[in-house]
Amino acid sequence: MPRRPDLHGLTGAYALDALDGLELDRFEHHLAGCPSCEHEVRGFRETAARLAQAVALPPPPALRQRVLGAVTVTRQLPPPAPPAPPAPRSWLRPAAARPAAADGRGGWFPRLAAAVAAVAAAVAIALGVQQAATQHQLDQARAHNAAVAAVLAAPDARLVVRRAATGGVASVVTSASRHAVVVSTSGMPALTGGKVYELWFLSGGTARPAGLLPPGAAGRTAPLLASGVGHGDRLAVTIEPAGGTRQPTTKPILMVTLPT
Amino acid sequence: MNRPELPELGPAAATDPGPGTDLAELLGSVARGDEEAFEAAYDQLCRPVYGLARKVVRDPAQAEEVAQEVLLEVWRTAARFDRSRGSALSWVMTITHRRAIDRVRSATAAAEREQKAGRPVPPAPDGVAEAVESRLDAERVRRCLGSLTELQRESVTLAYYGGYSYPQVATLLGAALGTIKTRIRDGLIRMRDCLGVS
Repeated sequence: MPRRPDLHGLTGAYALDALDGLELDRFEHHLAGCPSCEHEVRGFRETAARLAQAVALPPPPALRQRVLGAVTVTRQLPPPAPPAPPAPRSWLRPAAARPAAADGRGGWFPRLAAAVAAVAAAVAIALGVQQAATQHQLDQARAHNAAVAAVLAAPDARLVVRRAATGGVASVVTSASRHAVVVSTSGMPALTGGKVYELWFLSGGTARPAGLLPPGAAGRTAPLLASGVGHGDRLAVTIEPAGGTRQPTTKPILMVTLPT
Repeated sequence: MNRPELPELGPAAATDPGPGTDLAELLGSVARGDEEAFEAAYDQLCRPVYGLARKVVRDPAQAEEVAQEVLLEVWRTAARFDRSRGSALSWVMTITHRRAIDRVRSATAAAEREQKAGRPVPPAPDGVAEAVESRLDAERVRRCLGSLTELQRESVTLAYYGGYSYPQVATLLGAALGTIKTRIRDGLIRMRDCLGVS
């Protein structure tokens, strides 16, 4: 019997609203920092919507007028405040602390001493505060940043830096013990047509979605946490249409064998 | 005022809304206060919303109340719908399912339902309700549910249509929590792939 509850396995129950109480809270907290779970929940919700369509029934005709009548006297909520765009340097370490980048790559995770990890985490939290518009978003940002910091500070954290085929560099910190990676990028070209950079975990012959890179600021993207890494997995990045896909549709522009 | 261009209505339009009646677009207009767009959205949504509420809540009067609350919430919070996070239908059905669950998942409500229903019988695949407009949808779902193992199918239908929490499902089916959790997820993966959900 596993000691730690397997939270990833709760995506189905969550999507069907079959979680309650403490388990629901714990899973929602987990979801905030787990893009692969988020992706899976989204697909399950779409599936559930089909289950709902299959039991569609015409309502009593009187409902229509009641609803339309109520609408004329009901105020609407305004749209959520858009997040303030992050200042380009807000999550970069101060220039003095950046190492002389002799190789010119400019990645921002050059060393993994605990002090560095702490600085990066503090800066990531600052980014989260800037972007959060509501308390809920702030809590989510903090949970996400805590999860990022945990990977950075893990005793078995290892850094790998790779160039992408279409330009730019990705810095990937892997913690095998936490089964997670944190990915940040620099200099990857902005994509047109709503396309996104999507991450994948590759194992055997299969690809599992691992999240979408957030839009960049000044050519750099904020750290993305991807959990659910298995032993021997590789990480790949492809360019996909808006919203991402469930399987890669293009050749990877970057492939990293994750250190174990 | 933003008026959506209404397509020529023909027999096909009843089940196949043209580009002018794309639900996500309608919700965009609804978010800006367009009551005509809301009417068009109502006409697309009222059957799945009421149907799901009926399926979960069972009592017709309460189902109607749930449907009314949900449709009003769609009006009220249309600006919160984010099309990058999923389809408009999925957004509305999530609201609907949660509202329906709120109604049924209280201790007294559960006790009453169990009393009325005796031993709850999970709906067999051909027990899925039909309506003329959604016959194709119902067929497809029925066929895909039929491809699941019995435990997967019962777990998914008890949780979704029955409105039970997964520990309650585990009790009803006499199975371990971990087993039910896995069957629900496996069942959904199969349904998702069978239905071709992207």
